Amino acid sequence: MNLGISPKSRVSRLFRSPSFRALAALALVIAIGCVFNAEGTFFRWHTHRDMLRHISVFGILACGMTLVIITSGIDLAVGSVLGLSAVLFSLFSLQLGWPAWLAVPTCLTAGAACGLTSGGLIARFKIQPFIATLAMMVFARGLAKWVSGGRKISTAVQLADGSFEYREAPGVFRILGSKLFGGNIAVVTLIFLACALVCYVLLARLRLGRQLFAIGGNEEAARLSGVPVSAAKLLAYGLCGLLSAAAGICHAVQEQQGDPEAGAGYELTAIAIVVIGGTSMLGGKGGMGLTLNGAMAIGYLEKILSLNAVGEATRLMLTGLIIVGAVLFQKHRK
Amino acid sequence: MKTKTILLPAAGLAFLAAFSVACGKDHGSPASSAAPPKWTIGVSQCNLGEPWRVQMNQDIRSAAEGHPEIKVIYKDSQNDSLRQRSQIEEYASAGVDLIIVSPKEAAPLTAPIAAAYRQGIPVIVLDRRVLGTEYTCFIGADNVRIGKAAGHWALRKLGGSGKIVELEGLMTSTPGQDRHAGFREGIEGSGLEIVFEADMKWLEPDARREMESALSRFPRIDLVYAHNDPGAHGAFLAAQAAGREKDILFVGIDGLPHEGQVYVKRGILAASFEYPTGGREAVETALKILSGEAVPREITLSSRVYTPENVEAGGEWLRDN
Repeated sequence: MNLGISPKSRVSRLFRSPSFRALAALALVIAIGCVFNAEGTFFRWHTHRDMLRHISVFGILACGMTLVIITSGIDLAVGSVLGLSAVLFSLFSLQLGWPAWLAVPTCLTAGAACGLTSGGLIARFKIQPFIATLAMMVFARGLAKWVSGGRKISTAVQLADGSFEYREAPGVFRILGSKLFGGNIAVVTLIFLACALVCYVLLARLRLGRQLFAIGGNEEAARLSGVPVSAAKLLAYGLCGLLSAAAGICHAVQEQQGDPEAGAGYELTAIAIVVIGGTSMLGGKGGMGLTLNGAMAIGYLEKILSLNAVGEATRLMLTGLIIVGAVLFQKHRK
Repeated sequence: MKTKTILLPAAGLAFLAAFSVACGKDHGSPASSAAPPKWTIGVSQCNLGEPWRVQMNQDIRSAAEGHPEIKVIYKDSQNDSLRQRSQIEEYASAGVDLIIVSPKEAAPLTAPIAAAYRQGIPVIVLDRRVLGTEYTCFIGADNVRIGKAAGHWALRKLGGSGKIVELEGLMTSTPGQDRHAGFREGIEGSGLEIVFEADMKWLEPDARREMESALSRFPRIDLVYAHNDPGAHGAFLAAQAAGREKDILFVGIDGLPHEGQVYVKRGILAASFEYPTGGREAVETALKILSGEAVPREITLSSRVYTPENVEAGGEWLRDN
């Protein structure tokens, strides 16, 4: 974009900064919302609160995805790991009556184990990330179905004689599924923001973050300059798995059940969020701030289409167009 | 290099072991210490990713349990017409005594079903139709009738006027279209008004999102009609989060024992309309065919409505009206 100002001028630099571009895409979507406001519904706070709640699960997945994409990798298994974790968490806390302090870490560990396995295949056996995580995506989905017997795990527990007994959902389900500050913000949104903050600190402030960027920029150069490439990759995929499991817990508490089909296709939304934010699929460039932006942009887009009761066909076409538009818009930057 | 040479055969062995265990589990015949089964029935299910279809297999299994003379084999096509096609061909060449198939789509599966039928193997088609008449018996329920019954129920319950939100199943699928058309027919000419409709694609998270939008836009909603029970449950959760669940009646379809019926018992849904799987009827019909009795070419399953008043008693059968 040439604005006719000398390239060194401040304005020009501002226009070229990735954060500005990401913000501009978000602003565009919000502007659309202001025009098509569905009789003023778009201007009410609870619309925004509901959007934030809905996008939180996808946002948590996108946090992990950002770490992996920065290393120029990809994790297709996030949706399946989400499903697995939702099933495990429901099984443990709804049906087996485990306390939260046991159920939550167990699920997170299971998710991290899935991620570490993918990471191990990639770092140790040099399997391409796309293929290794594709295998994990299929495997974890199968595991979720096997653990649950193909059924949703809910508060209805089947007894030996085939009848059902209803259990009260445990406290952890009610707390995580509720809203705070006078009903103004969902707990899952706070979990999303906390995950985003942790990933931000990791990428921007810690040594591991710099190593991930270095690997994404040029893996060989990173190796030669002493970056522990395998260990760093392993950690990135492990964290991605852990965050997927956290998203799975958030999904289960919102649905009040563990659905073995939960999260199918969510990996694509997570990737879209990262890319719309402006993180490069080639690796080495990007950040958590951008992903947060991308999450909001996708969230608002879905909310606006839903508020106006736009038909499914139009919705899909518009979403495709807007993704391309946002990415093209960002491509101009150096 | 060394690790690789050891790892590969080890992985191969582990895979073989896992495979044989898995196969043993899948094809395990019902523990029959008595006479070996007289007949083998092959079941081809189009997709076990849906709870309703898991229930269908469950119904077939529990109906077959009391009959040691039959052995049932199950295959899952994982939502793939071509895979289902080869399953039917496999059953035909293996020479099973009868095939029960719940086809994914009509066009690609008509030919293999007809081929098996011509070969002399009786075929029972469950839930979704195939083209033509080259099968032994079709068993299925009528979505339009169920949708219409839901419409009439809403009409009675709301006393002739009210505002309705309709959360639709995938509108490119026939069940979605039929449940929509039936409901519209049921409330036609009344004071019931559909103020918001959206395609939630049978998915609970989508239903919840759409319901949030409806709640933000409309201060008064009297009833939510969702094309499946998970959709109605998602809508309930959205209304509960907004503190409005007491003002709204939630109606769903499917009435599975561990899903819709549970929601009704817990007071989440005001009604769930059963969409019967036909699994039990398929086994009963199969036994008749195998023992040489005549069966009708078409069996339309009747369905029940579950409400908080009747759910403990097993629901109430729908009358045609």
